[in-house]
Amino acid sequence: MTIRLKEKQLNVNAQHISDEDLILYSMQSLSAGETATVELHLEECPECAANLAEIGGDFALLALSVDQQPAPAGARDRFLARIAAEPREAVSTYSMPQAEPRVVRESALREPARVIQATKPRRNWFPTLLPWAAAFAMLALAGYLGGSNQRLNDRLNQDKGQIAGLAAQAARAEEVLDALTSPEAKQVTLTEGKQAPPPTGRTSYLPGKGALVFVGNNLKPIPAGKTYELWVIPADGKAPIPAGLFRPDEHGSASVVLPKLPEGVPAKAFGVTIESAEGSPTPTMPIVLAGAAGL
Amino acid sequence: MAEESQNPLGAPARSYNSELAKAGALAAKTAEDVALLAEVERGDQQAMGRIFDRYSSMVYSVALRVLKDPGQAEDVMQEIFIQVWKKPGAFLSGRGSLGAWLVVVARNRAIDSLRRRRPTDSVEDVVLASSTDLAAEAERNTLMEKVRVHLHQLPPEQRKSVELAYFEGMSHSEIAEKTGDPLGTVKTRIRLALITLRKAMQGGEPPGLGQGHGQARATRGQAVPGSMPR
Repeated sequence: MTIRLKEKQLNVNAQHISDEDLILYSMQSLSAGETATVELHLEECPECAANLAEIGGDFALLALSVDQQPAPAGARDRFLARIAAEPREAVSTYSMPQAEPRVVRESALREPARVIQATKPRRNWFPTLLPWAAAFAMLALAGYLGGSNQRLNDRLNQDKGQIAGLAAQAARAEEVLDALTSPEAKQVTLTEGKQAPPPTGRTSYLPGKGALVFVGNNLKPIPAGKTYELWVIPADGKAPIPAGLFRPDEHGSASVVLPKLPEGVPAKAFGVTIESAEGSPTPTMPIVLAGAAGL
Repeated sequence: MAEESQNPLGAPARSYNSELAKAGALAAKTAEDVALLAEVERGDQQAMGRIFDRYSSMVYSVALRVLKDPGQAEDVMQEIFIQVWKKPGAFLSGRGSLGAWLVVVARNRAIDSLRRRRPTDSVEDVVLASSTDLAAEAERNTLMEKVRVHLHQLPPEQRKSVELAYFEGMSHSEIAEKTGDPLGTVKTRIRLALITLRKAMQGGEPPGLGQGHGQARATRGQAVPGSMPR
């Protein structure tokens, strides 16, 4: 399962608005939907906006061709009386009226750090393959989600045209995340021969973004009131960084997805210790699972 | 300020009647609108009164042409100037002509009133292709005469189509039905009428029917592909 995570420039409004449509728009002869589409495009296309301004100028000429009549007697007084009754306050700069931004399911995008405690009882399920490629793809996605959260939030307010496309990507990302970490997903370790697999954990880590996904299988059960804790061991010899708490379910599986980690910390190793239920800022020996990052 | 009285071009243009000087004087005129609007933004009712004086006939005349009723036309006119009073800043940020915007909105509001629609104006730039500024009365009268002449020189079907659409508020389909012409033809006629009028006001030769499209593109310097009738 591979996921392309390049940003897609949605070309919802790639085509310029034709003169004829701009004319119709200028005369307010388009339907509400067509008007909205044109306005959406105009917000981001200075060329068409300039074209529209010129068309407006043409219509102004037309408007000026009418026979000129002076305003009716008393109109000026009526006007002045009205503005005297509605004095101006100093108002801040006028801003163009915006349509309501479409509300997109943000839950997938807002929480980059999630620790999943796979302690819920699982229903009977049938074995499914857990491709390691999915975990790497998950990690790339984690990097994307973490880094682009702010950008996406900004864009929601500005670029309506891309929202639909991004929502589709987010939905896909959720699917991947679900496949990897949902309580209903089947976690199976494949081994050579018939021996019972030992406890294993796999960590995928993007140092630049501080994005991490960990999946553990065949973990030994631990007493109530205790938890496993994952650690990132920095390459520069600094103290181990806590990377999330997890407890195995009855099948010995658990995962940690995108815990809150600092960005830009290369790791030389990862480790798992057993701590009391609320976790610990520093690891308690022994390290029960360990792996070197090996560059 | 006595510019409006006799010589709208001001002193420099009198001594060397070049386009440049004219543009400079006109820029000053537009700057006058800008100055007035800035004063309105500070709550100056007299400044607003001067804007009203400058443009009320123009606005009223358009509304009257559409609505044919003086009372309704005045209502539309009042509403438009109230909008300027309430949000003068909107006109300070664009590059359009205030006068041009006023007449365009006057038509739109009048049509809304005709059709009992809620007004839907946003403040968009309205840019006159010719360098004429509408703030100066003499200049404006000259421009209006010129527009009328060129409008009457349009092929009758073009003029009729654009007038039905613009002043009667008829949709293209309604016009097509009334004239018995295809919808695409109506749209093309309206577009050509506007292009011809624009070029005529700029002083160029009006393009022939077959060339209008291409010439207009060249003038604007765009590479927008030819539009298809919907």
